[in-house]
Amino acid sequence: MNTTQLLLELSALTGVSGREGPAAQRLKELLTPYGKVKTSPLGSIYATVREPKEGGAHVLLAAHMDEIGLVVTYIEENGFLRVAPVGGVDRRVITASPVTIHTENGPVKGVVTSIPPHLQKGDETDLPRVEDVFVDIGCDGAEAARRVCLGDRATIDAQPRELLGGLVSGKALDNRASCACVLKALELLQGEPLPCGLTVAFTTQEETGGVGAKTVAHLVNPTHAVALDVSFGHTPDAPRHKCGVLEGGPMIGIAPILDYRLSRKLEEIAKGENIPFQLEVMNGSTGTDADSIAGTGCGIKTALISIPERYMHSPIEVLSPRDVDHTAQLLAAFLKEVR
Amino acid sequence: MLELLQELSLLPGVSGREDLVRERIAREVAPYAQCRTDPSGNLIAYKKGAQTGAKTVLFSAHMDEVGFIVTYIEESGLLRFAAVGGIDTRVVVGKSVLVGDSGLYGVIGTKAIHMQSPGERGKAPSMDDLYIDIGASSKEEAEKAVHLGDRAKFASSFEPFGKGMIKGPALDDRAGCAVLIELLKEDLPYDIVCAFTVQEETSCLGGRTAAFGVNPDIGVILEATTASDIAGVEPGKQVCQVGRGPVLSFMDRGTIYDFDLYCQALAWAGEAGIPCQTKAAVAGGNESRAVQSAAGGAKVLGLSLPCRYLHSPSCVLQMEDIENDLALVRLLAQRLPE
Repeated sequence: MNTTQLLLELSALTGVSGREGPAAQRLKELLTPYGKVKTSPLGSIYATVREPKEGGAHVLLAAHMDEIGLVVTYIEENGFLRVAPVGGVDRRVITASPVTIHTENGPVKGVVTSIPPHLQKGDETDLPRVEDVFVDIGCDGAEAARRVCLGDRATIDAQPRELLGGLVSGKALDNRASCACVLKALELLQGEPLPCGLTVAFTTQEETGGVGAKTVAHLVNPTHAVALDVSFGHTPDAPRHKCGVLEGGPMIGIAPILDYRLSRKLEEIAKGENIPFQLEVMNGSTGTDADSIAGTGCGIKTALISIPERYMHSPIEVLSPRDVDHTAQLLAAFLKEVR
Repeated sequence: MLELLQELSLLPGVSGREDLVRERIAREVAPYAQCRTDPSGNLIAYKKGAQTGAKTVLFSAHMDEVGFIVTYIEESGLLRFAAVGGIDTRVVVGKSVLVGDSGLYGVIGTKAIHMQSPGERGKAPSMDDLYIDIGASSKEEAEKAVHLGDRAKFASSFEPFGKGMIKGPALDDRAGCAVLIELLKEDLPYDIVCAFTVQEETSCLGGRTAAFGVNPDIGVILEATTASDIAGVEPGKQVCQVGRGPVLSFMDRGTIYDFDLYCQALAWAGEAGIPCQTKAAVAGGNESRAVQSAAGGAKVLGLSLPCRYLHSPSCVLQMEDIENDLALVRLLAQRLPE
């Protein structure tokens, strides 16, 4: 499967936290060739692709499939919708953005309102809070209530695109890119014997706290876990020491909550296999599924690998398919070494 | 008209680089009018009617749209840019753009929300701190695809919206252009002149030179104007409302319109049952001033389409307003030259 095509396809899927259905359905299809896919009570999907041996190592690969978005909280009498953020929505990117409200009866197009500059209070760089904007769906109140239901999720419209130099841009690459890594790793491991059991999971509700990964980790009960997510790819306005760089390879996490030996093992394997990599050092927890998995049950030894990404939590996230491929190669090589 | 409007909406035509829009319009109206392109780049279409009226009436609509201009290419391959025309800095981040006439895709992003301080989260960054990312990894790679001075337009789709509305880029003022194109296709009782003008968003240069060349007695300026009829804005500050027909102006920040023409147009619209509204604020401006003050001067009438989220990737218009705009423009073409 071509990595760029896979990324473009997964980016376009809809799956705002708590309503991951459409994304889950497609990912389930993509996962089916590798094992029986189960769905957890909270909507995560997972498949054991290599049965663990009694007393042997059992690795869980976890990538969240949910994306940030908006949720409709109220319909004004004049038909404008009030919304709240689902996950960390950046106030900078919402004004005048075209959005789609995902309803039971199909998509409804909308625009996030922007108050014209001459009517704005405060100075012209003040951004409205998400709770203070409206979504215009071009209908009066009665029609709006027929088309939209409170609780419906919305995403900012973004056409997934390939950029110059082969980079990919789109929404929800956080974290569908990691879902792509898992699928690519499974492709690489087809027909290969592994010394460990292997279960892969696409989890729900990471952007709102990680209950999906926590519960899947309990159901799978692995001995080791690798969480996959995106992390910051450097841009000129960001501190260099808090970022990786695009095309620098997978970012191997080092943090108190992560298992130090697993982190070092990943580093050694990357070196041995000549896979480019970068280290990402954090001083506590990681803000990813790794945190909830590490604390599940009596504790699970957990590692974190992140794909460098620019403009995280925007409709125009940018990352490199080559970093995705290198991450998949690192995962495959790692799984051949876990005992 | 919808199909043509969609095509016009998606064509790049940021001020000073209106060529593709002009070529498309010229192709459309050539069978119906004698066309010339003046040195500024305006397309002037002379339409023969059944007879020559007593007055020369010029109808104008601008072809250009707001956007960006590439000012510098960083060693990293990122493009620095400036706004062309009035773009609210709050609507820029997180948007994608099409660079140059070939439409090279690029995105405008900033560091992630996670790395923003609480103060930064509530503030739009300055345009000077932003850049377009086209995916190039070096200046050399970027220079192969982009030239300094290339314009960029908002990349967004044109689509039906809500109840009888449309949404898309550059509807200010491609909708006005579409209305004039329709007018030119009709049989008219009198000769008229239509100007599809350049650079309205930056200097109104096109309006000035077109009016000088045509030297009309009356200028009718077709525009799109801000409709602030959105939640959170009190009725007295909404300026105009979508769905209530074309907007007639008595005064804005650039122009004092001819009061007799304004009253006459309102009366004719009323008699003909064409819904229309008055711009309920002295706000905004357009090329009316340039047309009014060219050569020895002309009486001007301002006729605008109510448009939400003007100068953003998502201009929203009501189709019915466009139809009523055309109806009123047709009426004006029939009566003003008399």
